Amino acid sequence: MANRQRVTPQMPAGEILDFLRHTPGVFLTNNERDVSQSDFKCRIMPQTTLKVAPYRDSAGYFGFEILGGATVHLDLMKKQINPFEKLRLVRKAMPNTLIQGLCRGRNLFGYRPYPDNVIEMTVRLFSKYIDIWRMYDFLNYIPNLVVAAKAVRDAGKILMPCLCFSTGAGHTDDFYVQKAEEVISLLGEDIILCIKNHSALGSPARIAELVRAIRKRFPDLLIAYHGHNTDGNDLGRLMAAVQEGAKLVEVADHGYGGIYSQAPALSVVQNLHEYGFKTPGLHIAPLLDASSHFQGFDPTVKRHKLPGGALSLALEQAEKAGLMERAHEVFSELIEVRKELGNIWVVTPGSQILWSTALGNVINGRYEKPSDDLKGLLLGRYGRFPFYEPPQWIFEKVLERGRTDGKKWDEILAGEAGLQELADEDLKARRFQLESQIKRPATDEELCLFVQFPRDALDFIKFEERFGQTWLLPPDVWFHKGGFRDGARISFADEAGKTHNIDLISTRRTADSVQTSFLVDYQFQTHTTKIAKNEK
Amino acid sequence: MLIFFGKRVKTMFKKLLVANRGEIAIRIMRSAQELGIKTVAIYEETDKTAMHIMRADEAVCIGSGPRRDYLNIERVIQAAQSSQAEAIHPGYGFLAENPAFAKQCTEAGLVFVGPPPEVIIDMGSKVIARRVMSEAGIPVIPGTRVLPPGEEGKEMASAFAEVHRFPIMVKAVAGGGGRGIRVAQNMSELTRFIEIGRSEAKMAFGNDEVYLEKGLNNPRHIEVQILADGHGNVIHLGTRNCSIQRRHQKMIEMAPAFLPQDVSNKICDTAVRAARASNYLSAGTVEFLLDQDDNYYFLEVNTRIQVEHTVTEMITGLDIVREQILVATGLPLSISQNELCFRGTSIELRITAEDPKSNFMPNPGLIEIYQSPGGHGVRIDGAVYQGYEIPRYYDSMLCKLTVYAYTWQEAVDRLRRCLDGFLIAGVKTTIPYYKQIVADPDFINRNFDTSYIETHPQLLDYQEEVPPMGKLAGLVAEINAYEFNPYSE
Repeated sequence: MANRQRVTPQMPAGEILDFLRHTPGVFLTNNERDVSQSDFKCRIMPQTTLKVAPYRDSAGYFGFEILGGATVHLDLMKKQINPFEKLRLVRKAMPNTLIQGLCRGRNLFGYRPYPDNVIEMTVRLFSKYIDIWRMYDFLNYIPNLVVAAKAVRDAGKILMPCLCFSTGAGHTDDFYVQKAEEVISLLGEDIILCIKNHSALGSPARIAELVRAIRKRFPDLLIAYHGHNTDGNDLGRLMAAVQEGAKLVEVADHGYGGIYSQAPALSVVQNLHEYGFKTPGLHIAPLLDASSHFQGFDPTVKRHKLPGGALSLALEQAEKAGLMERAHEVFSELIEVRKELGNIWVVTPGSQILWSTALGNVINGRYEKPSDDLKGLLLGRYGRFPFYEPPQWIFEKVLERGRTDGKKWDEILAGEAGLQELADEDLKARRFQLESQIKRPATDEELCLFVQFPRDALDFIKFEERFGQTWLLPPDVWFHKGGFRDGARISFADEAGKTHNIDLISTRRTADSVQTSFLVDYQFQTHTTKIAKNEK
Repeated sequence: MLIFFGKRVKTMFKKLLVANRGEIAIRIMRSAQELGIKTVAIYEETDKTAMHIMRADEAVCIGSGPRRDYLNIERVIQAAQSSQAEAIHPGYGFLAENPAFAKQCTEAGLVFVGPPPEVIIDMGSKVIARRVMSEAGIPVIPGTRVLPPGEEGKEMASAFAEVHRFPIMVKAVAGGGGRGIRVAQNMSELTRFIEIGRSEAKMAFGNDEVYLEKGLNNPRHIEVQILADGHGNVIHLGTRNCSIQRRHQKMIEMAPAFLPQDVSNKICDTAVRAARASNYLSAGTVEFLLDQDDNYYFLEVNTRIQVEHTVTEMITGLDIVREQILVATGLPLSISQNELCFRGTSIELRITAEDPKSNFMPNPGLIEIYQSPGGHGVRIDGAVYQGYEIPRYYDSMLCKLTVYAYTWQEAVDRLRRCLDGFLIAGVKTTIPYYKQIVADPDFINRNFDTSYIETHPQLLDYQEEVPPMGKLAGLVAEINAYEFNPYSE
């Protein structure tokens, strides 16, 4: 182990953790998942990922996060790629780098808690590709991580539980150290504890203090720092964490690091080196090769605290609702709502609940049309409020709204509050349901996606059967606007490296259909697309 | 005058009309053209885009079709006369085993490439054929003469069933190629099938006579290719195993039949004796059924070139159609039994535009993409091309894939490679079904008999494959149609 410069996916989890503990220096994880989610509305296409994969693999990152958060759902809905297929391709293209996934504890990759057997199946199936499981609970309610954590252990993978970090009343070192104790007591010491600073909060000094406090209590604990550069100062926080003993930090490709995602890799490396920290196994040239240009910064995050990933999607939602010109109102309302709702961490699914509540409040009046998810939060479906409870009038307004039994809010709380025991999913019945829709046997992976996202997974499976591996199409084709000109050539390589050409010969538009003629790999084909009148 | 093996022989005819369509017409034209003979194709108006027309030197439209004109003896002979063809090759199917056609060709002064009409008559009648073979000492499956109509027929059937027990096959006297056969498992089925068999035979062959044969349990279908000339030479070209059948229609054929040497020798000698007993001329096939103990029984003689003749050509190197033409000219066979040698293994598949999952229903339509495999040991006898619209009126054969290899395992490997090498879009084909077969352990271990397809229903458990790039083009077409990607918003 003495001569080893980097870990590999083939090493057992324990050996990897030992390597981290005993190798001097700091390790970097490239978090494309968060870059894509924070800065590109999850739209970094697989072709782009695969194009730079060899450089990233050669760069010697400790890990590469490509799965989790909103990506599973968005892969199905907007990118039309099976997340398992994506992981398989990434694994193949980056054989030397540990693949990391982010999971929302009991909420997995979705927005509500899932039954234990769905969690176990999901972790087991994704563990075929995922080496490091970074997981969190949005209320830092650690028991919510237990089932998924056990599944990670059973799969022999690395467990990286997170402490969601925020600022304000209650967010003290004592609180977080007590949470770290809870993590270790429930999940054991063979972990990497991640400080999840999803909203780029706190100063470098605050982060230094936090890491110092945790390390004081647990001197041998491996600590990772996951931050966002939303305010432009994550480099400072990251360096502060490292100086206090964090071994692992998360970065974006230098050129990608932008407004809402991680600090740029090259700047991080330069700073580390300047401060005398080694970066074992890291190679600068391929790290640079993987980069390209991107955007700027957003200091207002200090107030609204929305994480990068949620911010870009929230803005898209506001745009669709025609509320972009009132966005400042929604952000102001968000700040109020967060304070009223216990100053909790603004991270999924909390960020969605807070944002949609703020948006609804602006459109419909304050708490006039509360969502079921907000009711669930007040009823303690996700766990307890860690610092303080919302004021009584909110309970009253939200919980009594729509009740036909005339029960008052305190009666409702007395009778219905608390975490709900979820009965196991009837996987056989769900498989039957899926197979009767797709009219063929379903794979375990398809079932896993279906139980979490029934409609979108089904739509995706049908899409994939119809169009195949559309991730092969270059992004400029995927996002193409307007018709293709006659003679246009679409050229790309398949997974096996073989070149294919789709040459557009002609387009014939009639009242209700469009006939497109191609040479597909020099073979003539005609496709007729029927278009409904309201779609033209 | 033709110089043949250093001897001066009869004048070879200069022009041959091929009274058929599809792959067999093209296959016959190839041999004729190698002999320097011009070829004439015939076609019906409904078949005017067929590939055999393109491969011929001349073509004659014989009517509006569909199907009836290919079966119209007068029109075919007229086409030969108007194109000044001197000979007619009937191929298989259509008029190939119609003795009236052979007779009228001869009467019109045309050379019929095949056996004389009296042989076709005798062998075409299954009952006469069985009698001829029986008299020559060749084992035949116990059977009846033609069943008389009415009660007398029922009594004969009942008595036969009592002696030989079920299963019993009801066969049309004029049937063949798997048509006109029903298998009864009990007396009530037998009574019903006799009635149905009669009316079907009347409609299909114009002859309602049926007879009974004892059915064997899961027999193997073995056949021997024979060649006979007008100089007294009769040779066999070895065995074929055609056991893999669906409803008595052959699907996969192979040569040799992989029988114990003594059984193989006996069957081949018997086939030659059968040919001699029937005064055979030209190419023909003597078919047998083998029971589980390798006892063999005469089944029938096919008086034509057969679909599966290619496997025999592959292991012998002989061009059977060329031999047919030479024999028709009056020449002796170009090879003797002793000169003939057999080498390796050959397997042939009939690739059709049918949907196996819909009970092999024909799936006519436009062939959008057609690419076939090639390389060492691969023979494609095809009749389609990219852009060809398969008409719904004719058989659904796209091509025959025949592979040759030194060993059985190598041939199976080659078959698999070739099936993967096909790229056909636009119509459903039997290729995915054949892919299942070549991956099936029973097939790989040559563990099959005539019940194979029936006892392997899992072969239908496959997913349809659409060429991946064609699927992607479908999405590009949608982006083009909507002027944005409707799946990315």
